[in-house]
Amino acid sequence: MRGYPIVLFGVFFLRLFLPAEENQGKAWELPVPSNPKELLEIQDRLQSLLPKVQGALVSIEANDGAGSGIIVSEDGLVLTAAHVIGKSNKKMFVRLPNGKRAPAVSLGGSELSDAGMLKITKAGPWPFVEMAPKGSSQLGAWCFGLGHPGGFDKERGLVVRLGRVIGRKDETMRTDSRLLGGDSGGPLFDFNGRVIAIHSRISKKPDENFHVPIESYLANWEFFQNETLFTMEKMEKGGFLGVACKEAKGGVMVVETIKETPAESSGLQPDDLLVSIDEQKIDNREELTILIASKNPGDEIKLEYERKGKSMSSKIKLGKRPGE
Amino acid sequence: MKILILFTFLAYTYSQAEDSDDNTTELLNEKFRLNGLSTQDAFGSARGKALSATVRLVRNDKLIALGGFVDPSGYVLTKASDCVGAREAQTSDGKTYRLKIKKRDEKTDLALYQLISDKDSFPVVQWGDENSTRTGSWVLSSFSKLEEIRVGVASGKPRKIGREGGVIGVILGADGDSVGGVRISEVVPQAAAYKAGLLKGDVITSVDGRKLKSRDQVAKIVGKNDPGDVVRIQIKRDDEVKFFNVTLGHRSVTFDLFNRNLQMSGPVSKRKDNFPMILQHDLPLPKNSMGGPLFNLNGECIGFNIARVDRVTIYALPAEQVRETLSKFLGK
Repeated sequence: MRGYPIVLFGVFFLRLFLPAEENQGKAWELPVPSNPKELLEIQDRLQSLLPKVQGALVSIEANDGAGSGIIVSEDGLVLTAAHVIGKSNKKMFVRLPNGKRAPAVSLGGSELSDAGMLKITKAGPWPFVEMAPKGSSQLGAWCFGLGHPGGFDKERGLVVRLGRVIGRKDETMRTDSRLLGGDSGGPLFDFNGRVIAIHSRISKKPDENFHVPIESYLANWEFFQNETLFTMEKMEKGGFLGVACKEAKGGVMVVETIKETPAESSGLQPDDLLVSIDEQKIDNREELTILIASKNPGDEIKLEYERKGKSMSSKIKLGKRPGE
Repeated sequence: MKILILFTFLAYTYSQAEDSDDNTTELLNEKFRLNGLSTQDAFGSARGKALSATVRLVRNDKLIALGGFVDPSGYVLTKASDCVGAREAQTSDGKTYRLKIKKRDEKTDLALYQLISDKDSFPVVQWGDENSTRTGSWVLSSFSKLEEIRVGVASGKPRKIGREGGVIGVILGADGDSVGGVRISEVVPQAAAYKAGLLKGDVITSVDGRKLKSRDQVAKIVGKNDPGDVVRIQIKRDDEVKFFNVTLGHRSVTFDLFNRNLQMSGPVSKRKDNFPMILQHDLPLPKNSMGGPLFNLNGECIGFNIARVDRVTIYALPAEQVRETLSKFLGK
């Protein structure tokens, strides 16, 4: 129910400007549609959004594979899955829905969340879609996915799937929007036509699939754009702090410090709110992991945090991640 | 080209998650999901029409296909190739009838059966205009037990589905990997090439006497033949030239064994190619529930489900094609 007051405000302001069209709630904002009329409203909304967003869908063609992606900036930044790009700085092609090809190069991403990014290297302007702001998609929200499973197919065109957000946890969003392995990297939209996630992994249960939430990209934007792919290997070999955290407002909150780690010896405690590392704000858990593991064991970081509302700061020498 | 896509794609079909890792995640109540009972209820009379106009076709007490009433005297249309030997039909009111086959059509893979009964008021489908169904339109069909429906959307452009050519059952390496041919990077276990004795690392230099240099060329020349045809393949193995006669296999049968995506999908229809026109949708229906009618939000029949292609794709023959075949069956 986070963000509920904001939604109310939004409706209030819309009412001021659009008095005639706004009625008692939209079908896709109800807990569940209850009659064919509401279903038709959902269908009409979906079909009115499709032409607005589908021009920005790309199929990604590399010499060792393919996938989908979505353009999110006029100069051709494309969000996709990390396992579609494979590594940074790789030359590939994107194909737009009209069949046109353009050269592109893979930028960064993270194997933790499976977020990946690439850039079209030909000058734009490119058609692009808006990204949803942090925390805007709630459990039960209607959503739709687009993709080019199996690669670009002119006869079939892009493929559309409808569903609802059925789960959110840390670096993963789950929906009952149907998904095929080949959909990887394709976008998931909310019913305002904004990207809320990128298709990542299929589940054995056909109605519980996995997506990278947009928050992963927003929190690590500069890192991803900086042409670095954060790998599991990097995480294992990089610097280590030794905290278990959960998402929180204004940073990430310590749940537990692990014994005999830099976190413990620096005096970090549960409920400390980690705010920044080396002046870089921490937006989510993944960013914390990336910031720390991008350093080497033995490097020193400056950690800013809040304890019971009081700002604290400490210099911590990172350790090595303990082996399995 | 399609073969090539399939090859290049295998690399990305392997990313699957363990389902056990998040018992702690709060998930949306199942009844509110896309195919939850609450959502199904919202379909109202369309739901009722879908359930009553659909029948279960049974062989040895096992469901083999669904069908739909197209005439009040008990004529039922279904998917021909899934229905061989169907003996009984069960309706949504729980009644069972004996069956007899009347007609089959190879082109559309439709068959006409008749329920043996004096009743002449079976609830037939009301035909709709499939052209009013666009990408993103709701569609629904009866689920296997005729107690629930499955809902989803039309998910791709209506189109013709071409014939699937035969395959030798190998994964080919990148072009230019070897001089004067195309290297085999994987041999699909138990498939055509495997049985003929081809090995991983062999370089294919010609097929039926035609010299080859790219993956595309191999796919194209092999794919001109049908499953069951024999092609003569020349290869180079450790500087030795060898010839093999390979009896081509079905693409679906060959690659389904190899494709984890499809393994996770459950069985798919054996015949899923060569249709004059299809509507694509994403209803979660198993292979043994093909052959039944597909409806729009108004409860009108806009097609018949004719092939389960993978875990997210079903092809339906559009109503126009179905009615044309039905007229032919009934001699009108």
